[in-house]
Amino acid sequence: MSGLLAAMLEATGPTLFHYVLVPLIKIAIVLFAGVLPLIMYLVLAERKVLGFMQARVGPNRVGLWGLLQPIADVMKLLVKEDVVPRRAVRWAFVLGPCLVVAPAFVIFSVIPFGPPAATEGGISWFVTDINVALLMVLALATLPVYGIILGGWGSNSKFSLLGGLRSAAQMISYEVPQGFALVGPLLLAGTMSLVGIVEAQRDLGMWFIVPQFVAFFVFLVAGVAESNRNPFDLPEAESELVAGFHTEYTGIRFALFFLGEYANMIVVSSVAVTLFLGGWLRPFPSVEALSFLDLSFLPAGLGGVVWFSLKLFVFLFVYIWFRGTFPRYRFDQLMALGWKWMIPLALVNLFLTGLVKVWV
Amino acid sequence: MTDATDSRQPGDHLFDVEEMELNFGPQHPATHGVLRLKLKIDGERIVGCYPIIGYLHRGTEKLFELHPFFQNVPHTDRMDYVAAATNNLAYVGAVEKLVGLTVPPRADWIRTILCELQRISSHLLWLATHAIDIGAMTPFFYTFREREVILDLFEEYCGARLTLNCMRPGGQPYDLPVGWVEKCRAFCEEFPERIEEYEGLLTENRIWKRRTIGVGVLDPEVALDYGVTGPMLRGSGIGYDVRKARPYAAYDQVEFDVPVRHNGDTYDRYLVRMEEMRQANRIVLQGLEKLPEGPLMAKRPRVMKAPKEGESYYSVEGPKGEIGFYIVGQGKPEPYRCHVRAPSFINLQALPDMVEGALMADLVAVIGTTDIVLGEVDR
Amino acid sequence: MTALRGLFEKFMLLDLFAGLGITARHLFKKKVTVQYPERRMEPAHRFRGMFRLDEERCIKCTLCARDCPIDIVYIDWHQEPNPVTGKKEKVLDRFDIDVQRCMFCGLCEEACPTEPKSIWLTSKTYELASYDRWSNLYVDMDKLQEWRVRPDYTDREVE
Repeated sequence: MSGLLAAMLEATGPTLFHYVLVPLIKIAIVLFAGVLPLIMYLVLAERKVLGFMQARVGPNRVGLWGLLQPIADVMKLLVKEDVVPRRAVRWAFVLGPCLVVAPAFVIFSVIPFGPPAATEGGISWFVTDINVALLMVLALATLPVYGIILGGWGSNSKFSLLGGLRSAAQMISYEVPQGFALVGPLLLAGTMSLVGIVEAQRDLGMWFIVPQFVAFFVFLVAGVAESNRNPFDLPEAESELVAGFHTEYTGIRFALFFLGEYANMIVVSSVAVTLFLGGWLRPFPSVEALSFLDLSFLPAGLGGVVWFSLKLFVFLFVYIWFRGTFPRYRFDQLMALGWKWMIPLALVNLFLTGLVKVWV
Repeated sequence: MTDATDSRQPGDHLFDVEEMELNFGPQHPATHGVLRLKLKIDGERIVGCYPIIGYLHRGTEKLFELHPFFQNVPHTDRMDYVAAATNNLAYVGAVEKLVGLTVPPRADWIRTILCELQRISSHLLWLATHAIDIGAMTPFFYTFREREVILDLFEEYCGARLTLNCMRPGGQPYDLPVGWVEKCRAFCEEFPERIEEYEGLLTENRIWKRRTIGVGVLDPEVALDYGVTGPMLRGSGIGYDVRKARPYAAYDQVEFDVPVRHNGDTYDRYLVRMEEMRQANRIVLQGLEKLPEGPLMAKRPRVMKAPKEGESYYSVEGPKGEIGFYIVGQGKPEPYRCHVRAPSFINLQALPDMVEGALMADLVAVIGTTDIVLGEVDR
Repeated sequence: MTALRGLFEKFMLLDLFAGLGITARHLFKKKVTVQYPERRMEPAHRFRGMFRLDEERCIKCTLCARDCPIDIVYIDWHQEPNPVTGKKEKVLDRFDIDVQRCMFCGLCEEACPTEPKSIWLTSKTYELASYDRWSNLYVDMDKLQEWRVRPDYTDREVE
């Protein structure tokens, strides 16, 4: 592997190699070895966990414990007929699902799944580390909602339209508190680079969830709302709007919406892990006695990746747990919650954080 | 806005808006069957709601006229298909009243037990669908777990799980099988814990409360005007229950309370039904205790004939409300006319009043709380 | 004090955590699913399933056909002398049941005057699905008698 890389370095020259080829390879690895299988098996895990919570066993027919179920699902969705309703606005109908999926995947490029390279030329566990990463995350996280609105409007169905409208209302109500919640850790870290934020947590000696508990809570609620998950799954509330914005979608386009929802779940969880739960850091990063938790026997900082994944899975489990437990909010109540509780909470938290930052 | 040509009044919208017409159903996950609602909505707010029924019409009342009395019992199963026992009882009660048969006490007690079990199972189904309408999917599976036990009990008693056909004019066709009483008691002793479980998921949950408190308020006057009965009426503060008002079967010999709450909203109806399940459980336990020995069937002719000129009305408290059968006889073995007072049908009439001005999301909550079964609405 | 407690409960989201606790507890409880084709539940003894007919017991009174609320029992018979005794006896030509319309109410069984019943539904057969409604669910005399063997239900795991 390293021989191959060296040969490529030889052939292309250092600039092209470092700035084009390596990121490309990393993107491919993140997408096809990381995110896509994770999404596929997240769907299975969700069905399994929900099943177990509901006194049943979940899918267990395709393969051992249903492990081949995601593959069967994907096959089914791929070969299904692709129906576009006759009166639909075709460009919007086609663009909608793409707009949901693409931004979510782009965000993965700045998420640090593990520590940066310890030595020059070593492996760093992220595609890129840019100094406005958090801003980029915020900007891109808003985009999927346009896809939902476009898809809901473009499919020319009243249920879809209502789903799209709800999605817009929800986005407005929850982007704001989410943004405010993110400013807290940002103030503490003093950088927008996600790698920098994790390193700031290491230097501080504790995860930001401790000083920024309120921000974490706000971000969690807003994140659930952002990714249209129960109890905020209003845009697709199946008992009210049939399937909301994706009522008219079939086959691969429906699969894209589906993919987008789960990708968004993973994105929100990853950002939360990075900002509040110390990213790749072990628990209590300042306590020397616990340094065996670093898993430093694993090569190339893989221990950090293990920690990151563990936290991510806990987060995803919480998502599924919510879905198994809570009823659904009504859309006016959801907006009231966003404006009357989440935004003031986030603002108070921001104010206090600022005071502490100025005085300490 | 001061433009002289502008005919808009203050309070009008800035730009042209239209009310949207939306067909809610008959194929829709929250309509509990094939109910179709023509909605006029302004954004998400409902300004008009027109129920359109008849998609499940099977001409049951006409069918009654074609068959001798005892052959009609299976048809009553298929009206409110989640509460067959109470339908059976209302029908056979009307026939017994018309023909003049006295049911032996043991049969009366068995009927009481079956009806109360049926009430629990129907309320469990209501809770399951109501919760899933409001977005909580887990209670569905918990309630179906218990409902399964009740259906097994029915299966052991009469051989069917849903369409029971478990009563005949004049008495009960079968005795309780060996071991049934013990199984039933075991279930009843465990069941209150299960109710706690459902309530733990819903009753205090703030989302559930916000979705149900103050939603779909039914004023007692309106309820009375429409003739609404059952938990719908009792949630609005009127404690009318056929079991107390005109005791039938063995209800005058058991102790139970009729839960009444006064706000008339979805949450109160939810609490009323939850309490009703507990009370039904209590009645079943008493029934198992007091079950007398004796014959099961009154002396009856093989072909029952109605009197030359006679009519009878017999109603029982079904899980949905007062279900009654009105039978006119003409000296033949078949009824001349049979009318059904179907509680689902009558309760459904109050739906437009309850959802006027509510939001789309409230609509499904209100349909859920109305607890209609389309088989009974359309007959 | 109660107001304070209410406020505390509201802010600590206790109601939500109670619900989460219930679902979490179920995560580890025993599951109630019955894995159907491998495990089959045996129906109760009174379970009304597929019909069976005993032609020898049947006295051809056609009460079952008359009592059927939807008239799906078709019976034809003629009289012929018994080859042994020479007495005239009823002989069944046809005893068909259109099972696809049957609602398994059991009134035919109840109407049967013979002891034991010559038509009964307690064969414990519930697997009546078929690919062809016209041929498989219109059951004639011979088929009705063949249903003697009930399928092997077992409540245990089938290896």
